[in-house]
Amino acid sequence: MTGHPRRLARRSVALASAVTMTAVLAACGGTGGGSPDELEMWTFKQSHVPALEQAAEQFEQETGITVKIQAITPDDAFLTKVAAAARTNDLPDILEVHSNGDDHTFGGAGLLEDLSGVVDEEWTDQYLPAVADEGMVTQEYYENSLTPGSKWLGVEEGQRFSVPLTIGTFGIVYANRERLAEVGYTEPPATWDEFIEMLDAVGQARPDDGGIANGFRAPSTGLEWLLQPMAYGMLGDQPYRDLFSDDPAANWGSENGVAALTEYGRIQPYWTPGTQSLSIDEADLSFAHGESTFDVGGTFTLAFLEANGFDPDNAMTFAVPPPEGAAIPDMGLAPFALTGLSVTKDTHNKEGALDWVRFLSQTDVAQDFARNALDLPPNDLGPNPEDAVGPVLGAMAASLSSDENAYHAADTSYRPNAYDSARVGEVLADFTPLDRGDPADAGRNLANLIESYWSEQNR
Amino acid sequence: MSVNVTPTPRLTSRPDGTSGKNRKVKPPSSPAARRSRRKEALWGFAFIAPAVILFAVMGLYTVGYGFLLSFAQWNGFWPDWNWVGFDNYADLLWRSPVYSPIVHDAAWNTLWVMIAVPVLTVAIAFPLAVVLNSVKRLSGVLRSIYFLPYVTTGIAVYFAWQYILEPNGALNLLLKSVGLGSLSQPQGFLGNPDTALPTLIIVMVWSAVPVAMLLFLTGLQTMDSSLLEAAQLDGAGWWRTQFSVVWPLLRPITAVIVLLNLRDSLQGFQIFLIMTNGGPGNATNVLGLETYRLAFLNELAPTLGLASALGWILFVVALIVAFVNQRAMRRLG
Repeated sequence: MTGHPRRLARRSVALASAVTMTAVLAACGGTGGGSPDELEMWTFKQSHVPALEQAAEQFEQETGITVKIQAITPDDAFLTKVAAAARTNDLPDILEVHSNGDDHTFGGAGLLEDLSGVVDEEWTDQYLPAVADEGMVTQEYYENSLTPGSKWLGVEEGQRFSVPLTIGTFGIVYANRERLAEVGYTEPPATWDEFIEMLDAVGQARPDDGGIANGFRAPSTGLEWLLQPMAYGMLGDQPYRDLFSDDPAANWGSENGVAALTEYGRIQPYWTPGTQSLSIDEADLSFAHGESTFDVGGTFTLAFLEANGFDPDNAMTFAVPPPEGAAIPDMGLAPFALTGLSVTKDTHNKEGALDWVRFLSQTDVAQDFARNALDLPPNDLGPNPEDAVGPVLGAMAASLSSDENAYHAADTSYRPNAYDSARVGEVLADFTPLDRGDPADAGRNLANLIESYWSEQNR
Repeated sequence: MSVNVTPTPRLTSRPDGTSGKNRKVKPPSSPAARRSRRKEALWGFAFIAPAVILFAVMGLYTVGYGFLLSFAQWNGFWPDWNWVGFDNYADLLWRSPVYSPIVHDAAWNTLWVMIAVPVLTVAIAFPLAVVLNSVKRLSGVLRSIYFLPYVTTGIAVYFAWQYILEPNGALNLLLKSVGLGSLSQPQGFLGNPDTALPTLIIVMVWSAVPVAMLLFLTGLQTMDSSLLEAAQLDGAGWWRTQFSVVWPLLRPITAVIVLLNLRDSLQGFQIFLIMTNGGPGNATNVLGLETYRLAFLNELAPTLGLASALGWILFVVALIVAFVNQRAMRRLG
């Protein structure tokens, strides 16, 4: 009888050891590069998955390497998952990242391969010159990384942690073409004043669903997608930058700042009711489902609208226009890389991962990806973008400007390092759409908050 | 008459002279018996090991890790922490021109929630329990109906509330249809900074009342009926009986309900995250939500240490609340 428990105990110990060893080996192995013929890629953009999977099929036919695409949404869940995976060596081979944001943070923390030695001129020549260097650590980014509290700690000047996958910009207004036609508008507004007139005309004709939606639940959107481009065109480059300074004669509390806020405040009567409670997706859905006639977003909004049943041909898109008498009356919006591709340090198939990134960068593949994902590629689409990526996306590509006076939404060099656009956006939202206080109050509150960021930086 | 008393033998006789009372007599131990006991003990340890390891990892390790993190600057990705001593606590409480005003605003909102939720919960749950206790018919059905909010509370219900409270939601429609359109909110009850926090408080109370009511009901049903009869014989009416006899007897349960709701009000953030994300503007930001924002919604800024420090500040406040509550219970008991 005594033999049985002993055998049982031995078997149990052996089984436990096997399970433990398996678990340990699995944990050490990570997901990246499980097999040389398999790659794993994570993205935070659900709308990119089908287009990436289609490209992966083509890639597999050419190279025999399978790429598994996984979307992790929303953005904060993606970042949390990456942080957890980084600590357990479970990162995938490739990440889609926010360009000049996540890539520098991950790269500075040692999670990504430095691609500067791999991405040569032949590679970057495929891109538009304006975005060819996006993903690189410039001198400005490097200096930023040295300031206390910088999220880019650890990067070195000249490193490259991503190559662009999609480009675009904020500050694009989407309007329902059919509804505009009903009140006699067939062309986009050229000025802020015309835009307000258009809002008024539609609002009077359609009091229930003629308004403009914006996802103020992410409060930075009102600031960065609407006010900033309008103020840039209105004031010009340097006076606009000074709005974010700690100089009371030039910041938001100054005459310039109050004038810009007064102009911006004219939009107050035309918000879709409850827009202050909507998330970005909910605001887009409000437009897609016909509860609003206008929607503020970026080039990336189109894919979401189409995925939710809105006919892209019914969209009239235009950049947020400056007011009459503006310093830059014909202001355009400069493109910048929205998302990029990074290769992780955990990959066991670096060459395969680089091949996949290089493959996605080819102009013909990028065009296919753009058509399928309804997102703009970083590649040069030639003189007729409509032929390359379709009419709606092509029109949007053509509207982007490389002019030196164009508003560059990704340029944040004039802001203090501790600047938190969500907090600043909350203060602005108090002015409109919440309608608490006048432009002077809003200017004073914005100036005080931004002054606190400068104080924090200089502390 | 003589009684022959036989002396009771001692249970154990110890050579050192100490009392062996209540000790079991140990059988003589052979090497085989010792091995058997050791094996038995090993099996015991093996069975409790998973629980011990889980507690060590999920409990002790994370608490210790979080405490240390509150003295560091980190964004979740850097290979090393940047030790900053008590800077995080100082920045949150008074020193930082960026973070301390946010924390102060959130603390005021939290305080309102901490006052309103327990008071309203008790004010609604107690009368409800008294009424349910006196209902003779359909009492089981009514209890189930009133308990429903607790069973269904969760993320889905918060979304359902959002639909009810939005500009074209059921509440505005109801108010307009009964001629109370002036009370409707054109921007929705969550879109107006003046109504957003009170509305969330009402939703929290709606979620908290069922459990409170159940606890009160338990107290009422275990109450000695002779006390109530004595009060009635002394000429006390229904109201007098409720306020002078029933309510004082239920004070310990009230204290428990208040403590539970204080804790939820202090540390809970899900409802604020899901229904308003602290908005509109900053009208519904509370300390629990601010902790979450600093940890996970700060665009990779190195504020995980600040989040951890705020979490520990909340823990200390919760300890103080529990201590005050315990003292109050002692006095009431």
